[in-house]
Amino acid sequence: MLELHNLIKTFNPGTPNEVRALRGVTLTLERGSFLIIIGTNGSGKSTLLNAVAGTFLVDSGRIRLADQDITRQPEHRRARLIGRVFQNPFSGTAPSMSIAENLALAARRGQPRGLGWALNHKLRQQIRDRIRSLNMGLEDRIDNAIGSLSGGQRQALTLLMASWLKPDLLLLDEHTAALDPKSADQVIRLTHEIIQRDKLTTLMVTHSMQQAVHLGDRIVMMHRGQVLHDLRGAERERVRPEDLLNRFDAVRRREQLDAGVAELLRQNYI
Amino acid sequence: MTLLIGATTIGLILALLALGVYLSYRIFNFPDITADGSITLGAAVASILLVHHWSPMAATLIGFLAGAAAGMLTGLLHTKFKINALLSGILVMTALYSVNLHVMGKSNIPLLNESTLANQAESLAGSFLGGGKSEFLLAGWTVGSRDAAMLVGATLMVLAVGLALYLFFRTNLGTAMRATGDNSQMICALGVSVDFIIILGLALSNGLIALSGALLAQYQGFVDVQMGIGMVVWGLASVIIGEALVGTNKIGLLITGAVMGSVLFRLLVAIALRWGLNPNDLKLITAVFVFAALVMPAVLRKLRPAAKPTAT
Ligand SMILES: Nc1ncnc2c1ncn2[C@@H]1O[C@H](COP(=O)(O)OP(=O)(O)OP(=O)(O)O)[C@@H](O)[C@H]1O
Ligand SMILES: [Mg+2]
Repeated sequence: MLELHNLIKTFNPGTPNEVRALRGVTLTLERGSFLIIIGTNGSGKSTLLNAVAGTFLVDSGRIRLADQDITRQPEHRRARLIGRVFQNPFSGTAPSMSIAENLALAARRGQPRGLGWALNHKLRQQIRDRIRSLNMGLEDRIDNAIGSLSGGQRQALTLLMASWLKPDLLLLDEHTAALDPKSADQVIRLTHEIIQRDKLTTLMVTHSMQQAVHLGDRIVMMHRGQVLHDLRGAERERVRPEDLLNRFDAVRRREQLDAGVAELLRQNYI
Repeated sequence: MTLLIGATTIGLILALLALGVYLSYRIFNFPDITADGSITLGAAVASILLVHHWSPMAATLIGFLAGAAAGMLTGLLHTKFKINALLSGILVMTALYSVNLHVMGKSNIPLLNESTLANQAESLAGSFLGGGKSEFLLAGWTVGSRDAAMLVGATLMVLAVGLALYLFFRTNLGTAMRATGDNSQMICALGVSVDFIIILGLALSNGLIALSGALLAQYQGFVDVQMGIGMVVWGLASVIIGEALVGTNKIGLLITGAVMGSVLFRLLVAIALRWGLNPNDLKLITAVFVFAALVMPAVLRKLRPAAKPTAT
């Protein structure tokens, strides 16, 4: 379904700010699988999702999605295959437009947009029904500007928008990190429901070990732009939050060791 | 009365300019200076076609298309060559000055002997009133039939364009355009090419501005290569007044506001000139006005906390 082959991305190459954000990521995702990505800060999780979404083109490597090579496609062309929710609740919606208009935009994701009406009676009714299923009391406010809603409400709507037309791939980048715990729970429940119902192939980044073990059917841990661990099958079933935290600690210890060795070398040879 | 009708008519014609500026500046947040060149371009193209006896309708329409092409060029410079928005506009505007001179062949073309939309409206009004009377009484005022015809014609034109724009903003393409200005990251993730929409939007914006120029030239009976200078700021002033008048973010009201702002601003200017304002100071005063309107909200916010204790 999704095949990433040896993705490499370096930001600001050849400058003092050079960052090797992806250093050869290879990953294959079957249709309908729900992959959770964890990793330390700056390990390249967001960069990986952005590379798949087409925010930038990778330096080398191949990306195949739904039997098409999308490596060189610009972001807006890939959008017909990909639904996306960002970390920042402000990123996923157009604030000065109404709830209904935002959803109408999402209802044509990746399709040509001509001079037909954006909203008609039937679509408004569908929008109201789907929003009612969120149980947030927003169904009577679909003509209000979306900018007047809370972050949690916006994320729930963004999720609805990303999945309105069933995407071949759903990308979630810490989409509950900016929310208060209660809203975060609500959005996670909704995420689970939608992915289950539509059997969506999903890549989700999270910092919450709870979310990592309770959602999804596979966990990948990234470090320094590479896949460090890939837990699936029986191993994935057995894993507990503490195990994941231990793995983080191991990474950190090795990092310190590396730093110590480097310091030793520096003192001895320079 | 004649003065007020004249000012209102020009205000209505320039409302198309205001709508164009509204589109680029408010919808896209794109400070597009191309306007100064494209308003003259629209006037120049329409005028030269009129001189060559084209039908006024066709000449005006081609003026619109010429402006749209200029806007498209600015959009291409900005999106494909990654040139800063302001600079893209300045480049095209500067180039248009020469283009306009070439189109016109000289720096000023009179249209007094040509058949224009203005003359057509006038003769239509004449046959409507019967007997070719040149003036009539309206609620006790003597009104020139030419002036009245212009006013009605301009009103119909602005109504049609305003309505078309309003309806456009409710289509799939139009909502995508609004969303592009609102949140380009989101609309890109929904499969819309932001570059394409910006190019299209600037084409539409400058088309409207050129249309305004084409109508203005026919109304005043000449085109001058200098007529575009300062027009962006003029349009901006109208948009700002309009926003103050309607004070919401509903698209229909904002369109109405831009039109009302343009008319109101023109009326204020006409009255000020009548009271002895030196016409040479007009652009300076317009610039100062826009400056004040831009900084005023911030200044008021700063003053408010300090003002409170003294008020109580
Ligand atoms: N557009 C960019 N330009 C330059 N450097 C970037 C860019 N995007 C990411 N980076 C750098 O690439 C590295 C990986 O960043 P990325 O955002 O992918 O990390 P992450 O795993 O998502 O971290 P976090 O958990 O903090 O979100 C970081 O060092 C970051 O500074
Ligand atoms: Mg990140």
